[in-house]
Amino acid sequence: MRHTSTRRAARHCPLLRLLRVLLTVAAALYALLFVVFFFDLDGKLLYYVVEPLLCRHYDRMERRNPLDMPYRTDR
Amino acid sequence: MKLPKTKADVKKLLRDFWHGKPHGERRLGDLYADKTGLYKHREWRGVRDTFYYFHMVWLYNYAHMVTDIMQDGGMVNFAKGLWRYRWMGQTYLPVLHWFDRGLEGLRGEALRASAWHYRAMVCVSIKQLMDMFNADAKLHGGAHNDAWQHNIAHKETVWGGVFYPWSDQYTNVPMEMVPFFITCHVNNHTAPHYIDAVQSIGLPGDPCTMCQAEAGLFVQDDIPDYAPFVVTSNEACDGSVASTAIEDWFLDLPLFAMPQPMRFDDPLVQEHCANEIRELWKFVEEQTGVPFNEQLLCEKLERQNALQRFEWEKWDVAAKTPYYPINSVAQALYRVYQTQYGDHDIWHRTDRKISRIMAKCVERKIESFPLTRHRAIAWSCAPLYYSNWTTWAYNCWGLNVVINMDSLMFDMTIRTDNLDDCVLDMARYHEWAPMRRMTVGGMQHIFELWDYMERFRCDMVIMYDQLHCKSMQGVSGLFEDEFRKRDIHAIWIPHALADKRTVSRSEIRRIVNDYMTTVMKEEPLDPSLLEYDDDMGW
Ligand code: SF4
Repeated sequence: MRHTSTRRAARHCPLLRLLRVLLTVAAALYALLFVVFFFDLDGKLLYYVVEPLLCRHYDRMERRNPLDMPYRTDR
Repeated sequence: MKLPKTKADVKKLLRDFWHGKPHGERRLGDLYADKTGLYKHREWRGVRDTFYYFHMVWLYNYAHMVTDIMQDGGMVNFAKGLWRYRWMGQTYLPVLHWFDRGLEGLRGEALRASAWHYRAMVCVSIKQLMDMFNADAKLHGGAHNDAWQHNIAHKETVWGGVFYPWSDQYTNVPMEMVPFFITCHVNNHTAPHYIDAVQSIGLPGDPCTMCQAEAGLFVQDDIPDYAPFVVTSNEACDGSVASTAIEDWFLDLPLFAMPQPMRFDDPLVQEHCANEIRELWKFVEEQTGVPFNEQLLCEKLERQNALQRFEWEKWDVAAKTPYYPINSVAQALYRVYQTQYGDHDIWHRTDRKISRIMAKCVERKIESFPLTRHRAIAWSCAPLYYSNWTTWAYNCWGLNVVINMDSLMFDMTIRTDNLDDCVLDMARYHEWAPMRRMTVGGMQHIFELWDYMERFRCDMVIMYDQLHCKSMQGVSGLFEDEFRKRDIHAIWIPHALADKRTVSRSEIRRIVNDYMTTVMKEEPLDPSLLEYDDDMGW
């Protein structure tokens, strides 16, 4: 009887509840990261999405034309 | 996957799950997605090593890539740099794939030791690129801030050690070490872009692709403006002089050129080379207004000597025992990076870790590469776009490249008891730079190969044939004669250093496969690795 009420009290203790939520979130995050790692999802995202987007941006960038610079040898 | 039918099958399945499949049953080639070289899934190395890789390589390095940035200058400068520079965006993000490719198939202590080498290189790369971005006038509205005033720019082939006397107040940052050298290894899509850029202004396609790509960075205006003056040299060979001329033009900064003679054995040349270093010091004093600090120079050199002494220990273990725990690509890249960049805390921390791992391997007789069929030495300049081909060669054929030319370049410590001897040793060190000593330093150095072969008990030579280096300046015939005379198995691997388009990675594998099947008459350890298409991979 005492055990049951202790357990019920524990269930309602806000600190323990918070701890439980935190542990669940951490476990879910850990599992998610492992899935990303194992199935190389980071690589796939970078290869198919990030790199092409960045390259498009680099290709369109305005750049100074260095050939317009005189070659100064007096420094 | 076949479902287990018998009790023995279940046992085997459990054993493979717990320990990972033994070499020979792994079929690593099946993990690749076609063309991209991405993994359908990363390798299962057994519970212990998979979770080691997940925690201490993947998570640890992603986390440290962020914390290093925060520590070295902050996210804002990093993000600006990433948005501004192609080499940055294309190189930094796939770094973990670079680890994957180099560390494929490794288990236990070899996995740990090799991964620590990679981690050190990432740490130093982040420091360098953040040193650039914190100071970069292109990212800070043209302002020359305090960081800009306290940086020294130099060609990546100038040894960082010549700036030790100012290292308490000034930071030396090689111009191309991250934008070019590291880039090639991490993501081979990047360098061809710069090679094409320099050819677009009229350079013919046959000079060394290192010099081409380095010059191309300037043609594309893709080098940060991060320092008030610059130091260049003709290292590794005179190809660098040409790229330096272009860099000088486009940088438009006060410049000191520190050429090193190609043939350096003459003692008079030695004196000349030492004077070049003294002249450089005068130039730095003039530019910074800060006097030369001999004590600091000696302290830093002593720290660097400690790194060299540990390297000799590593060589001893690699040469005399089968217990060396570092794989070929980690050994080669770490060594070339460390010796060229100069002293840094991370090298010492890494060496302490490696020392513990190596001692454990020797004490407990742990063979990290137990299926070694051939102990090979790699000679001449390696293909930067496929430096991890050695990992493939061990996994596929049991071909263990125990040592390589670039690791062996700096086989010396530097005297610090008096400045005259110290400068002479520094000159010698500089003359023995990567590619310099045993590629273009004269026949007696090129043929040091035979001594090192014996010292490391190698039975095979991997001869890199850098096409733009004209096969080591045309000595391939002499090597052929020697190989025949000495009855040595040698595999010639042609490549174009930084440009994957000339000899592809699959072509390199085909050449090795042909030699191993037709000349050596051997069967592959992992047939799934014989042929696959990764031409579009990083
Ligand atoms: S690869 Fe050959 S040509 Fe290129 S820098 Fe090295 S030594 Fe010179």
